[in-house]
Amino acid sequence: MNEPAILVEGLGKTFRPPAGLRDMLRGRFYGAPLEALREVSFKVSRGEVVCVMGPNGAGKSTLARILGGLLTPSTGRAVVEGADAAAAVPALRRKVSFVVGDERSFHFRVSGRGNLHYFAALHGLSAGTARRRAGELLERVGLGAAADRRYGEYSRGMRQRLAIARGLLGDPEVLLLDEPTLGLDPRGARDLRVFLRDEVVRGSGRTAIVCSNDPAEVRALGDRVLFLEAGRLRGEAGPDRIEAELGL
Amino acid sequence: MNLAVPAQPFWFARILWAFVRREIAALGSYRIAALLRLLGFVSVVASLLFLSRFVGAAVNPHLAGYAGNYLGFVVIGVLVADLQNVGISGLAHRIRAAQMMGTLEAEVATPAPPWMVLGAPPVYEFGAAALRATGYLAGAKLLLGLDLSRANWLSVLIVAPLVVAAFTGLGLLAAGTTMLVRRLNPVANIVGSLSFFLSGVMYPVSVLPGWLRAMGNLLPLTHALTALRGALLAGAGPSAMKDSLLALLAFSAALAPAGVAVFVYALRRARDDGSLSHY
Repeated sequence: MNEPAILVEGLGKTFRPPAGLRDMLRGRFYGAPLEALREVSFKVSRGEVVCVMGPNGAGKSTLARILGGLLTPSTGRAVVEGADAAAAVPALRRKVSFVVGDERSFHFRVSGRGNLHYFAALHGLSAGTARRRAGELLERVGLGAAADRRYGEYSRGMRQRLAIARGLLGDPEVLLLDEPTLGLDPRGARDLRVFLRDEVVRGSGRTAIVCSNDPAEVRALGDRVLFLEAGRLRGEAGPDRIEAELGL
Repeated sequence: MNLAVPAQPFWFARILWAFVRREIAALGSYRIAALLRLLGFVSVVASLLFLSRFVGAAVNPHLAGYAGNYLGFVVIGVLVADLQNVGISGLAHRIRAAQMMGTLEAEVATPAPPWMVLGAPPVYEFGAAALRATGYLAGAKLLLGLDLSRANWLSVLIVAPLVVAAFTGLGLLAAGTTMLVRRLNPVANIVGSLSFFLSGVMYPVSVLPGWLRAMGNLLPLTHALTALRGALLAGAGPSAMKDSLLALLAFSAALAPAGVAVFVYALRRARDDGSLSHY
């Protein structure tokens, strides 16, 4: 039977933020619950690239973090390549890579190569394999010449490329990309999209979920688009229907 | 590419080695800070030397058990207190820094079990602190005439792992509570200040009134100092420091599992409330 690469059923996430000091003194330790996702269900086939669009606060990053095993869902379930995102976290993390676009996620005082070596060890690679793999990936993302410069000296585009290289260290079956071209200039964003499409996703046949608010990015990368709004799945469409769905 | 998962000890060794290499690479960019730290310690040890000359052994019958060696007494006190400080603040500080820098979420997102991700920094910190302490002891011996001629090194080898285990348990408790409350390190604040007062870092606990001595006995640093000073200054063998060894064993047996439990709970909470990258 051909099972989907990603199966999401009735997924919900409610955060309970800590209360302010005044409420704590009254014995209330949590503020009003914040529902980030509610009853979200969808499937993704192997090799398919699904983009998730929605305004800020729609729940895109929460969804990606649950699929990457970084957040536990409050209700429902998410299964990625047979691994339950809530229960089978170690198995899940060998199959999924969450590409954090957060620039702060590397050590600023260490070179790009040094940063990748460390993350390669976290993937269980031996020093020799880590060196080889990091070298290959740095070349592949176009950072070969800058590999030994400190990460703090990298431009924003270079940092995004290094984050993608890190995401590929473990050769994952599923990639989760959260706003991969956020903050890049138009040319840098276009080049990175082409690289992602040709080298990272399409070229390898990987399954991918791309969270984005950029129609150009979604058109370049996605087979299908899910629209999230206020934590709910409002609908889905092909990339050619983005403007109509978003009312642009 | 086939990525086989290595056996856990090898995997942890790889992570630890990669972590050490990364830290050494980063340290290279903090040369002035490292130099200032060294200068700070030299000035502390020099102050202690003059303090030891001022205090002198003759007026201190409390130092009789330490061969009247106040310099040795206080240098060991400061070094072991520093080791405890590494334990209770090091991991918590690392986690806070990784949360604030944003590296923690990226590290926890890898296939490595969380204990490996979070275990490398304290092992490195303890290793570095032990090397530092050895260097400072050697420096104090060569430059200040610290007398270690009676040291029983076998006893030191027996005591050291128990001290590290007790301090690691405290460190895990501190790190777990820091993750839960996000800002403060209440364990470090409470244990650190009480230890300095009650454990005999600068003066023998025998000068304290009985009820304060009893309180001091509830702190692992008190027993660590008694055992290590006994071994290094008075050449005490393992049987002579049986009480301290048993106390350290009890602290390790109680604190290590409690620390792990709090820490695992804090990690689970962080996955639930999404605070791995928040501060």
